[in-house]
Amino acid sequence: MSEISAISNETIRAEIEDFLDDPDEIQTAINLFSNASERMQLIAEAVIMGEDDEVDRITQAALEEGIDALEVMDDGLIAGMSIVGIKFRENFIFVPEVLVCARAMKAGMAHIEPILSSSGLMNKGTVVMGTVKGDLHDIGKNLCIMMLRGAGYTVVDLGVDTAPEEFIEAVKENESRVMGMSALLTTTMPNMGKTIEAFVDAGIRSEVGIMVGGAPVTDDFAESIGADAYGKDAIACVEAANSLSVAKPAKGSK
Amino acid sequence: MRKKPSWHTEESSLDSVVPLDGEWMTSRRRFLSSIAGGRVDKVPAVSLSSVVTLDGMDLVDAHFPEAHLDAELMARLAATSHEQLDLDTVMPVFHSQLEASALGADTWWGEKDNWPAPKSHVLTDPEDFKLPNDYLKKPSFEAALGAISLLRKRYPDVAVVGKVYGAWSVGFQLVGIENWLMMTITEPEKIHRFLEVLLPASLMSARAQYEAGADVVMWCDHTNRELVSPETYVDFLLEQHREIASEIGGPSILHCCGETTDRIEYFAEAGWDAFHFESQVDPHVAKEIVGDRMSLMGNLNNPTTLFGGNYELVYDESMKVLESGVEGLAPEGSVPLGTTMETLKGMAAAARDYSNAHRTNGRLIQHELRVKDSGEKVS
Repeated sequence: MSEISAISNETIRAEIEDFLDDPDEIQTAINLFSNASERMQLIAEAVIMGEDDEVDRITQAALEEGIDALEVMDDGLIAGMSIVGIKFRENFIFVPEVLVCARAMKAGMAHIEPILSSSGLMNKGTVVMGTVKGDLHDIGKNLCIMMLRGAGYTVVDLGVDTAPEEFIEAVKENESRVMGMSALLTTTMPNMGKTIEAFVDAGIRSEVGIMVGGAPVTDDFAESIGADAYGKDAIACVEAANSLSVAKPAKGSK
Repeated sequence: MRKKPSWHTEESSLDSVVPLDGEWMTSRRRFLSSIAGGRVDKVPAVSLSSVVTLDGMDLVDAHFPEAHLDAELMARLAATSHEQLDLDTVMPVFHSQLEASALGADTWWGEKDNWPAPKSHVLTDPEDFKLPNDYLKKPSFEAALGAISLLRKRYPDVAVVGKVYGAWSVGFQLVGIENWLMMTITEPEKIHRFLEVLLPASLMSARAQYEAGADVVMWCDHTNRELVSPETYVDFLLEQHREIASEIGGPSILHCCGETTDRIEYFAEAGWDAFHFESQVDPHVAKEIVGDRMSLMGNLNNPTTLFGGNYELVYDESMKVLESGVEGLAPEGSVPLGTTMETLKGMAAAARDYSNAHRTNGRLIQHELRVKDSGEKVS
């Protein structure tokens, strides 16, 4: 088990000391960053600080020097974003800060995604994501999509105001086993239930794991409409996708 | 012994006067008094955002989306809150696009079972903003102001509530919420400038609604915990809200969605007459924070209680809210359109029964002291 002093980056040490409280999360972070190179820690630091130009510069340089794209993504970008996610969950930071950090991560992912896509390494499965019918908000959805792509998923983004039949068509077309719905208004939340009913009527409900999220959505609500999982935030969304992927392996997989 | 005046008869002594009892106020008087934290005969059950339902649309033959741009349809639909649901208010500005659409936002007016929303964001620089000369003549205002006038004439004893989107929330619609929120960090001076240039449009909207006959205007600015920190509210909006409270021209309610417990104190300091809040907030805690500085209106849960529940659940949950001492019972926000009127009727019934049980001397409501979980009464 590593000690925090094994992390060379002073900013990251401070972030762990100041903002992480759960012993398991603290140790996970320490293990992660103490095993990451200084360069990766610099990328993570730039993500946490929301410095998109720095992330862009360091990521590009790292890849040009031959550092593995997966290492850059996991030990730099996702590692940094995981600290951001914890700070957001614990209300140390709010949506504006997360958006700035997400922009920074995106700057790095712009270099990573083409490499991973062409190598076929982004093959954890396809997740269909959309904001429900009548709802034009997509901040949360977009954050989740970014984290899902970072976690190795291919994501089909249906955008906002997505009708049930559009979800069904996308799931069928992409043979995806996981689908996520977002709603930011209490007035549009019922459309999540309608969409799930549409999957039942279409006879494919058992073939796809459905997760829901959004500011007014709760665990109880998710259960009441028959969703398979509830994601409180972007990190929880990835965890939900992971558990649903295991429960419903992709077609053709062993 | 003083000589009695010539008009004095045995019948004119106080002993012969039938005392006020039960519900003796008009809805309008009751609601206006509650907004100011005053004496009421019954805790008003109200509609502040929208209680329009699909079955209500069918009942009065006034449907979305046509009702958004037709004063008569809008008024007829708004009246269902009083006629069918026995609420003390009528509120015709159902949607959120009144100001944004009049300011040039490309608006999707929705469908029968969906809400209007902006299709695109039209502003990137505050210096590009221009208030149209015919702003209050735009279709959205013609309908809303027309509906308010009709309701005022048709329901003189019912409170008419208007609705305004403030500069912050109009900014969301014109600039894009993601861009807006990011700029609070990357270009805060731009957000301050946006707020400055957009405020007159919101104030004009409010004043026009008062002039058309609204008793109270609800001002919507969304700075809840799910979006921003309390410091962001203080940094960007507190001073503007103080300015609004003194300039708006009539009684005003602030509406803010979501979790707002950690900033209600600031809302009270801003000088709003009342705050309309959502179910994430414990009404007892909210009452403890504001005391008598600001009336509280809320906060029945929409998806689970109103949409997913039934009459009995709404009644029971209403009673719980009323026991916190809120000045007005209301849904937390616009009710989902699939909610039934039958379910919503539980609100007025609960307000009536609660008030009957808490009317001192048969005249005015006195809330019982709040009871802690331990059963110990506290002030």
